[in-house]
Amino acid sequence: MAEQRDDLLIALRYALLKKGTKQKFSLFFLIIVSILVIILDKLSYSYITKTRAVLNDFIYQVAIVTSSPEKFTKYLIDRGIHHYSVYDENNLLKEQNAELKAQLVNNQFLKTENEMLKEALKLSSNKSIEQDVSVIAKVVIDQESPYLKSFLLNKGTSDGVKKGMTVFSDKYLIGTIVEANYLTSRVLLINDLNSKIPVIIQDSNVNAILSGQGVKRRMVLDYLPEQYQLEPGRNIYTSGKDGILAAGIAVGETYYNEKDKIVEVRTLADLDQTLFVQITNGQLR
Amino acid sequence: MLSFKFIKEKFIKSLPLVILYFLSLNSFVLVNDIPNVDVFSFNLQMIIIYFYALKFPEYLGFGHVFLIGIFKDVLIGTPLGSTALCYLVLCLVATYLRNVTLRPRLASEWFTFVPALFFSNATYFTIINNFSNLSFYYVELLRVTFFTFLFFPIFYFFLNSHLKLYNKDNA
Repeated sequence: MAEQRDDLLIALRYALLKKGTKQKFSLFFLIIVSILVIILDKLSYSYITKTRAVLNDFIYQVAIVTSSPEKFTKYLIDRGIHHYSVYDENNLLKEQNAELKAQLVNNQFLKTENEMLKEALKLSSNKSIEQDVSVIAKVVIDQESPYLKSFLLNKGTSDGVKKGMTVFSDKYLIGTIVEANYLTSRVLLINDLNSKIPVIIQDSNVNAILSGQGVKRRMVLDYLPEQYQLEPGRNIYTSGKDGILAAGIAVGETYYNEKDKIVEVRTLADLDQTLFVQITNGQLR
Repeated sequence: MLSFKFIKEKFIKSLPLVILYFLSLNSFVLVNDIPNVDVFSFNLQMIIIYFYALKFPEYLGFGHVFLIGIFKDVLIGTPLGSTALCYLVLCLVATYLRNVTLRPRLASEWFTFVPALFFSNATYFTIINNFSNLSFYYVELLRVTFFTFLFFPIFYFFLNSHLKLYNKDNA
């Protein structure tokens, strides 16, 4: 028994310390370096943060170059798929256009009525957070990972981007800036598991927390009232209760999932197709 | 003088490293972009690292493995050094297994991949849970790990072919 243990220890020590042929570092040394890096990263001193920002910028720039063939292939495949679905899409868009035209008339009436009611109640109009920075950025890397759903953008602190700013695509909220380097920044997408947004459901006063599922556009509403049944075709807006996001930003919509026969929530923006985004420190005007 | 044969030889020998660097610097996750097939997604990097650390460590410098892990961490946004440590643990288990194995065979190498994946993932989860506020789907990771294990023999065949190609060129 003792001999077996000795053998195990010898083999393990050999694996850790012995430098193999053409190996410059032993595994033990590299493991210690990795642990040190993890600890230093966790400590987040200002000089470490700055070093990490420089490292991030460098690696992102390299990744932008190396991922260009993949992006081009993806673009060709998307174009091919899109080409074959143009006819169906056109019919669908015609139907949607007709519906929207009908809704527009109704909305104009509701808007006028809302203004009149506000006037009558002497309520000030709901001021959105002042928008003093608005940057258009390009998605340079669309990172697929089981841990984080995020985009890397080609604008950083040099363009006025700061951590915590909101990011929009086609007027829809898609996420917030979680990392701002000098030349690049990272946006945490709303479909990420770590994304939690206080929201309100259209035509109701029901508040909930919209959480990402880490899967494509699918999202989930947490903390809904008991017995509450979601109805398809409702928009989901930010409630502004977190004090960070302005109220009334369109985030998602409910839809009927034919496959699972349930009503689910999905993002309004098609995150897979997002190429350019708008970064602001408030609500879009 | 640099001859074509020399360059070819160098390229073939560095192929696993080139693939590893390419994969770490890309958002490309093999089958993840193909609709309805993404359930079969797996971690090719782990397969390559385990294979070369186990069979031909001279093809794969551990320093490169560390760098590849750092690149991956930066791109994914996980704590810096976590993926590097996860890959190094995989190398450690592979090196240990190489030291204690007398007669390597596909079946034994395939099944010893299970403890290697286990220790590697356990290290990763421990770091993510203790050094960051990230949350992730354990089921998805379990699935990816399962398919990484399942597809190992297929890549074992391809990677062995690469070695044969290199040895044939050197003969």
